Amino acid sequence: MAATMKLGTLGHAASMLSTGLLDEQFQKLLLLQDGSDPNFVAETITLFCEDGERTIGELTKQLDKRCVNFDEVAAFVHKLEGGSATVGAQRVKNTCIQFLEFCKEKSRDGCLKTLDTLRVVFYDVSGKFKAMLQLEQQQAEATK
Amino acid sequence: MTSYVEGYPVKALIIEDSAIETMVLSAMLRKFHCEISTAKNGKEAVQMFLEGKKFDIIFCDKDMPIMSGPEAIEKIRALGEIHVKIVGVSVGDNAQEAFMRVGVDEFVPKPMKLDVVGAIIQEVIKKKKNNETV
Repeated sequence: MAATMKLGTLGHAASMLSTGLLDEQFQKLLLLQDGSDPNFVAETITLFCEDGERTIGELTKQLDKRCVNFDEVAAFVHKLEGGSATVGAQRVKNTCIQFLEFCKEKSRDGCLKTLDTLRVVFYDVSGKFKAMLQLEQQQAEATK
Repeated sequence: MTSYVEGYPVKALIIEDSAIETMVLSAMLRKFHCEISTAKNGKEAVQMFLEGKKFDIIFCDKDMPIMSGPEAIEKIRALGEIHVKIVGVSVGDNAQEAFMRVGVDEFVPKPMKLDVVGAIIQEVIKKKKNNETV
């Protein structure tokens, strides 16, 4: 685990790992952080949260259209799949994989149901990421 | 681990539309002291080669807006860039076939692992050293 992260935050991350919200890819992300790049994890997961929120907004718009362009929907889902795989957001990644199947089948109902699931799992992980970053910041302030 | 060969760092180009994935791969390549350039899509990457830029290695995503990875690789190889090592990366199925068809040297599934990136960089360094001694 990265020496630059506080014990409280690591505990937070450990609980997300044990519940399957995150996978071992997140631990590998922690190892990339070092003294020369002390904000790497915070920046990466902040970007994931912002990008993910934008993507869910786009997917909602796309699936609201009378004539759904499933290739365009799939492109957005694929991007979120990649980002979630990179940060270790396992449940988001797996939901994206299911979503892509419904895009292939051109099933609007399937896509809409999976989007609902995606919203739940994404906001669950992004909420916990934000709490983790807040804790990290509070601990950093306390040690100043 | 160093990726310096006689004082010159390995020049890496990342062709990737996802900012998160670019950020993480860049962090990995910095561990090996690579000089990193990025392009957000295939067209930007091809333009870099048209401007005369040179790289030792390219990490290229498959699905990107404006120009896809395989299309960009085809154009880059057609420009005579046959010696640059090209690694296709993707999270989807069927990506490997699409990349191999256009002449990538290697395919690595996402998410990329640090030890895999390290092994690839070491290969590039070895090749550079061999070319220096010829």
